[in-house]
Amino acid sequence: MEITFSRLDDTVARFQLRASSPSFANAFRRAMIGEVPTLAIEDVRVYDNTSALFDEMLTHRLGLIPITTDLKCYVRKESCSCEGEGCAGCTATFTMSVEGPCIVFSRDLIPQDPSAKPAMENIPIVKLTKDQKLVIEARAVLSTGRHHAKWQPTNACGYKNYPVISISEMCDGCGHCVEECPRNILEVEGKRVRVIEGRTEECSLCRLCERACLGSGIGEESAIKVTSDESKFIFVVESDGSLPVKEIIEQALVYIRDRSDDLIEKIGEISEGT
Amino acid sequence: MIPVRCFTCGKVISPAYEEYKRRKEEGEDPKRILDDLGLERYCCRRMLLTHKEIIDDLNPYQ
Repeated sequence: MEITFSRLDDTVARFQLRASSPSFANAFRRAMIGEVPTLAIEDVRVYDNTSALFDEMLTHRLGLIPITTDLKCYVRKESCSCEGEGCAGCTATFTMSVEGPCIVFSRDLIPQDPSAKPAMENIPIVKLTKDQKLVIEARAVLSTGRHHAKWQPTNACGYKNYPVISISEMCDGCGHCVEECPRNILEVEGKRVRVIEGRTEECSLCRLCERACLGSGIGEESAIKVTSDESKFIFVVESDGSLPVKEIIEQALVYIRDRSDDLIEKIGEISEGT
Repeated sequence: MIPVRCFTCGKVISPAYEEYKRRKEEGEDPKRILDDLGLERYCCRRMLLTHKEIIDDLNPYQ
């Protein structure tokens, strides 16, 4: 297995996964979405809320705020030494006390631990008019996207097969496929159609070019053929800001490795027993 | 209030709303504003395009 990045910054990564299989690619995608833990607000104590939003709506909005997570500092509540009581090792506490008229932003959440703060400062939470007040204490815990989407570290996270476009000798360069292609990846060169250099990855495997080719009256078989390479994948991973993308990828791979080690161990135990 | 995240993909879109509203009132083309704000997917774009702010109507009531 091999990974090459074509783009990598804190929020977006685009990479190619090579010498792999469809099942691994999907396991990898699912691990990134559902198995990488992040912090999100789970419990809210509302001391005073005279805003137009109900407590429930307010806390729902608070829960959706991405919170920067340092996975070395926090453990899951279930596996914490406090036995689920909630301590500094498993819970990040925030306080908020705002009086109107103003718009309450995520920056008004004052974190107890400065490393666990809202990833974006300017998320509007509620608009307050004169004499409206909001006093809140919120607790964020570590969990995974399996339990609730607010713990998902990724926004758009997906892959597609690597496209393989082959153009046979039959091609007469009529250009119908060039016009039809929604991603503009084809061009006519002399009497033949070819893929514009470096744009193969843009292909969405829609096969409109194949249909256009048949429609041009070339015969039973189209001259252009779009297939996919079953061992190569193009991934796009986008982070919501709680974790850098690189860490999401690493954590997902660590998760897959641990789970497969577990499986090997369990199978070993079973076969010893018989 | 504008939803915090896009319903479909989960991207945090609410910080963009204030700027979107201001620029739209100035008469700018929504397409250009949304492109500027980095809202690429149509799921995120519809969140701003179709939002109706009612918090000011609700505010007089407790």
